Amino acid sequence: MNPAEQLIRQKFLQYYLAHNKGFYLPPSPEEREYGFLLFKEKFMVRHRAFRDPSLLLAAIRDLVPAHIYFSTAYYQQPTAPMDEKGWKRADLVFDIDADHLDTPCKPEHDTWKCKSCGILGKGGAPKVCPKCKNDRLEEQTWLCAQCLQHAKEETSKLLEILYSDFGVDPSDTHVFFSGHRGYHVHVYSNDLGLVGEEERREIANYVLGQGLEPELHELEELKSGGTTVIEGPQIGQPGWRGRMVAGIYDVLGEEGEQVGLSAAQTRTLMAQDRDKLFGRPFWSSVKGIGLTTWKALSSKAVEKRSAKIDSVVTTDVHRLIRLPGTLNGHTGLMAMKVQKERFDEFDPFNESLAFYGNMKVRVKDSPQFELGHRQFGPYQNEEIELPSYAAMLLLCKRRAEPLG
Amino acid sequence: MLTRADLAKYPFLAEASDYVRELGFSIDEIAAPEFGPVLDRAEKRLEEALSKGQVSNDSISESTEILSFPVSNLILGLVGEERARRRFALAEAKRAYELLRQETPEKIEHIASKTFGWKLKRLDVRLVRRFYDFAVNLTDYLHNSIHLREPRWSLSNRVMDQGFVYVTREEAARLIEEEVRARILERSSKPPGEIPRQLGSRVERARGLVIKWLGVPAHYELPSVPMPEAMPPCVRHLIDSLNEGKNVQHMGRFTLASFLLNIGTGEEEIVKAFKPATDFSERMTRYQVEHIGGRRGGRTKYTCPMCTTLKTHGVCYKPDELCDTIRNPLSYYKKKSRILTNKGLKREPS
Repeated sequence: MNPAEQLIRQKFLQYYLAHNKGFYLPPSPEEREYGFLLFKEKFMVRHRAFRDPSLLLAAIRDLVPAHIYFSTAYYQQPTAPMDEKGWKRADLVFDIDADHLDTPCKPEHDTWKCKSCGILGKGGAPKVCPKCKNDRLEEQTWLCAQCLQHAKEETSKLLEILYSDFGVDPSDTHVFFSGHRGYHVHVYSNDLGLVGEEERREIANYVLGQGLEPELHELEELKSGGTTVIEGPQIGQPGWRGRMVAGIYDVLGEEGEQVGLSAAQTRTLMAQDRDKLFGRPFWSSVKGIGLTTWKALSSKAVEKRSAKIDSVVTTDVHRLIRLPGTLNGHTGLMAMKVQKERFDEFDPFNESLAFYGNMKVRVKDSPQFELGHRQFGPYQNEEIELPSYAAMLLLCKRRAEPLG
Repeated sequence: MLTRADLAKYPFLAEASDYVRELGFSIDEIAAPEFGPVLDRAEKRLEEALSKGQVSNDSISESTEILSFPVSNLILGLVGEERARRRFALAEAKRAYELLRQETPEKIEHIASKTFGWKLKRLDVRLVRRFYDFAVNLTDYLHNSIHLREPRWSLSNRVMDQGFVYVTREEAARLIEEEVRARILERSSKPPGEIPRQLGSRVERARGLVIKWLGVPAHYELPSVPMPEAMPPCVRHLIDSLNEGKNVQHMGRFTLASFLLNIGTGEEEIVKAFKPATDFSERMTRYQVEHIGGRRGGRTKYTCPMCTTLKTHGVCYKPDELCDTIRNPLSYYKKKSRILTNKGLKREPS
């Protein structure tokens, strides 16, 4: 452990010692597997289980992990090796993380480095190094309001799809801030909890609009008596049909041009009331827009309205996921439950702070950031006294070293 | 709700089993002369399934039809041939589908909910041009649709409202076909301990039919020496990329290692395959290969990822015609090696 890690660990210990309210606990906490990623050598302690929340807290105080996880799955024997655990069911979970979102601000705050040839780049890391084609890339990401706002919008879209299409009960649906760059949505459902990986892949694809073909939603050309008519879904129809049609309005501008819509055609469409126009058979009503264009617009509308979840997380029925109420070792912020009623107002940079008082650190370099309603930075090679929450963020992000 | 004619059409129904029970039908009486037609029909069901892949629907008497179905199952269970059981289940399921699709919505609803426990609602909705008769509970839908590969079955291409998926009458029949197949397969998997004496000759005859139509039990195993020419395009591409010194990403490496392990390649050979990699480390590669083989770490022996996963991760490469028929690279290998060694697929009657 380097000095920064030692200090972070010490602060985490203080936090967990002071912590006596207990954590947010998922249903049947004793049937879950717990995992702890330790500071020391990034070692993962897995296959732990606790009969009682106080034993969990004791283990956390004993190990002082950088990250604390629990399984979305319920097991007969959570401490047994993987294939002997006796899988019973698993919550349906969704992960929306800025890592998977294409936000325009990434080049401003994220950088990457190829571990193999050493070249550097700005923005999110590509899949492989453009120079040496290696896939071992190291990312330096940053906490950014714009990215988190984007993640929040994706989460809202997800919730809407879950409630209206999947008929998920809002009281079974819980939203959590990850303490870093995104949100998690957990659904506790008796029905859906039992479905396997292939079924969950279908669910993930649905939320992503992946594989959706407008013609299979009956967007088709019909020939009757020498004339060709285009027929298709209308606004107000259930599921993707109505959502797709409603979304067409959102993509008329720049994206409409990309699929070959003329300025005049866009104006014609925009001039009409959305719900009135799309609420009746309209597909043949605009001159010059053919089936191919409508399909392209529909696909773009689906893309816009879909929720950009990480499908790997949803599909995995043995997933370990961050335990709310614990600290995120990437930031020193708290992973926490967000009240859905006030999700819009939730401010991750103010409500998830876990450390108080001041700390002195030497900052190597840091972009500007906002935490606890205060502006910080940018910093470059300076020794400075900061509120602990800000100093902890810089320490966790390897942007600062302890002083004294 | 259901008539005896219905039970004859759908002898897998719970009501049909009740009917058989009420008749007091017992194994001991099976050799009695009056059961001759039942035994004959049971045998015919099997022969039709094995020879044509579909069971006919033209029996003389309803009770013969109802009674012969469990007898077919019993015989099959006693024959104990997995491939015959699968073929029979599929053939009976197809027969059910052909009949079901012509039924009234009431009858389809009854069978789906009573026999298979679906939650479903009756609809009478036309969206664009298609008529939807039912909305099926999502989990009941997915349970069956994941076995169907046409794009129209993928959830993204369905109309879903409040956890219920819209389906037409024909589609409901097709989904029920999947239930029927699974149910029959499960039933014939539990054979009684010993062959009832009275059935002995019938079982022998059925065994003969299986060999006649499906060939001698192949007990075909993978070739003892790995056959590179039977490997799927994705795996070959991975090997080529490594040989050309190109970088192969984690998922690709995992796929290659798990594939090779599962077709019986030795760990030494696999480590060698990774040698051309630019960042090759013998120690690391050996460790990972042992891990995938279940000799290290979690002791789980990994199988090769499914094609859907490989598509997601961009490992799937130029799928060919055979790829359309499989869901895992290992199945490709199994089929292709059979074709190449002339040992399978073509099952000509001997």
